[in-house]
Amino acid sequence: MRIFRAGLRKMIGRPASFVSVGLLVGLLGLILLAAATVQENGARGSANARALITFPGAYDLILSFMFGLGGLVAVIYGAAIAGSEWGWGTLKNAVARGESRTRYMLGTFAAIVVMVGLGLAITFVLGVLLAVVAASIAGISTAGLTDADALNRLPAMVARGWFAVVEEAGLGFAIATLARSQLAGIGAGIAFYFGEGFASIFFPDVIKYMPFAVARASIDTGGGGFGGGDGGAAAAAQALTPDTALVLVGVWLVGALLVTVLFTERAEITG
Amino acid sequence: MTSPGTLALATRGLRKSYGKRLALDGLDLSVPEGVVYGFLGPNGAGKTTTMRLLTGLLHPDSGSIELLGRPFRRGDRQRLFEVGALVENPSFYPYLSGRANLGVLAQSGATVPKGRIEELLELVGLRERAKDKLSGYSLGMKQRLGIAGALLSDPKLLLLDEPANGLDPAGIVAMREMLRRLAAMGKTVFVSSHLLAEVRVLADVVGIIAAGRLVREGPLDSLLGDQGLVRVRVARSEAGAARAVLERIAPTDADGDPADPEPWLSVHVEPNRAGAVNRALAEAGIYASGLESGTDLELLFLQLTGGGAPSSEGTFGAAGVTAGVAPSQATGGNAATKDGQG
Repeated sequence: MRIFRAGLRKMIGRPASFVSVGLLVGLLGLILLAAATVQENGARGSANARALITFPGAYDLILSFMFGLGGLVAVIYGAAIAGSEWGWGTLKNAVARGESRTRYMLGTFAAIVVMVGLGLAITFVLGVLLAVVAASIAGISTAGLTDADALNRLPAMVARGWFAVVEEAGLGFAIATLARSQLAGIGAGIAFYFGEGFASIFFPDVIKYMPFAVARASIDTGGGGFGGGDGGAAAAAQALTPDTALVLVGVWLVGALLVTVLFTERAEITG
Repeated sequence: MTSPGTLALATRGLRKSYGKRLALDGLDLSVPEGVVYGFLGPNGAGKTTTMRLLTGLLHPDSGSIELLGRPFRRGDRQRLFEVGALVENPSFYPYLSGRANLGVLAQSGATVPKGRIEELLELVGLRERAKDKLSGYSLGMKQRLGIAGALLSDPKLLLLDEPANGLDPAGIVAMREMLRRLAAMGKTVFVSSHLLAEVRVLADVVGIIAAGRLVREGPLDSLLGDQGLVRVRVARSEAGAARAVLERIAPTDADGDPADPEPWLSVHVEPNRAGAVNRALAEAGIYASGLESGTDLELLFLQLTGGGAPSSEGTFGAAGVTAGVAPSQATGGNAATKDGQG
């Protein structure tokens, strides 16, 4: 618990936390405001753009964005946190004070889980506010904001999405631990993220079981356009049911944490 | 060597290699309780590897470690609850303040009493800057914070790797006084350093490591007792005669390059007999072009470590191998220094 609290204290003050949420909210805001400025002219593109800021459909855009690009941001965030522990020598400090390596890494990751939840919640709330503003600018009714069906679906979607994004953060965390470096961890995390999407074009039957594909599939419950990311991986992931994918998300998350813990326990800390 | 039973720290046959490179080759350390122990060695001798092993960052290939009278093996991490350490550079979160960094560090390992952080910030002189982000700290301030971090749990055994790094002269004096005070309170302070002058004035007991092995260990005064030396420089044509004169006073060695037009001769006498050495030469019609003397840790260090220390940090240059005595350490006679010393 002490490590968890210390982890939260470290992450709340860390610029990477603000930048991650700021990036998500900023980009989402730009999309929503861009959609608001599209003139209604009867064309299909115009109708699609207006659909993005029309509730309850706007919820789908916000969640898709949060869990799509949010997944990539989570990989980077997880890698940054784990990598800096090695690069800055702060893991060394804790170990030299007699702290358990396993507890340190798991406590730190638990803080990441909370930070990811906090970041997603902030992004969602601000995203909805921005969508309302965009709808107002475009002169679109916001009556669908309280659509009962959409609101009923939200908690389950958010919970699944959070879990998926946490898994992606866990992958970044594990990769950076293996790399013992922020930069290498972030670079490798991004490469895996996009590499998996690219590989799904050639090996869809294999890639659909891979961590980022299952994360996308786990939130694609058919109720909306969740999933984000690239089309190839999303298409490949279609073969898995969301519930199967959710189980695999759990398997990948546990695997990532196991790798992190085993590597850290065995590692010779020389930095 | 100190008798077992009163040891705060002991290693026996400690071996560690990195791939094919052997870093420690059967290290036997015996650090008595309540002393300041200076752990000396040239760069690459194995000091930092030893520190890492003592703090559980590395695992030995073989050999044993005892911390505060009890074995310290893999998994015995709680032994470190009574140990404070500063290994290599002070490591902190650059975006947090000094106070917050200590707060975060205090959440790991042994519990830290309330109010301890403020006490330590005061002790290391950082109270005024405690709110500032670490990224704005100088190296010396980071070092002070690192020392505060090592003292968080009021440890019985303090392991400090090059603690004077980056400190200004006032900071070095303050740190020295603080470490002496801790030792006076019964705590054991193990200081790894290559700053011989610093160890000379700080340590009670010294261990010298070279090529991964302990080559000498014992109370500093005892080690230096037989290290008195007077060195004279004479013309090569007179070196033979000078040596014959000096041999009558004490055993004398030729020093350095024999082809040197003015070779050095080392006379193994107390430093305060430099005048007598000079007089004896003068009476024989031989005039020294250089004379230096001292009771010298550096000399002992260079002899024991083969003098082959890399000079990347500018501390032990090639000139130091033959010249030996820094002005601040000379205790008698004329102190002729060379470039790169002192």
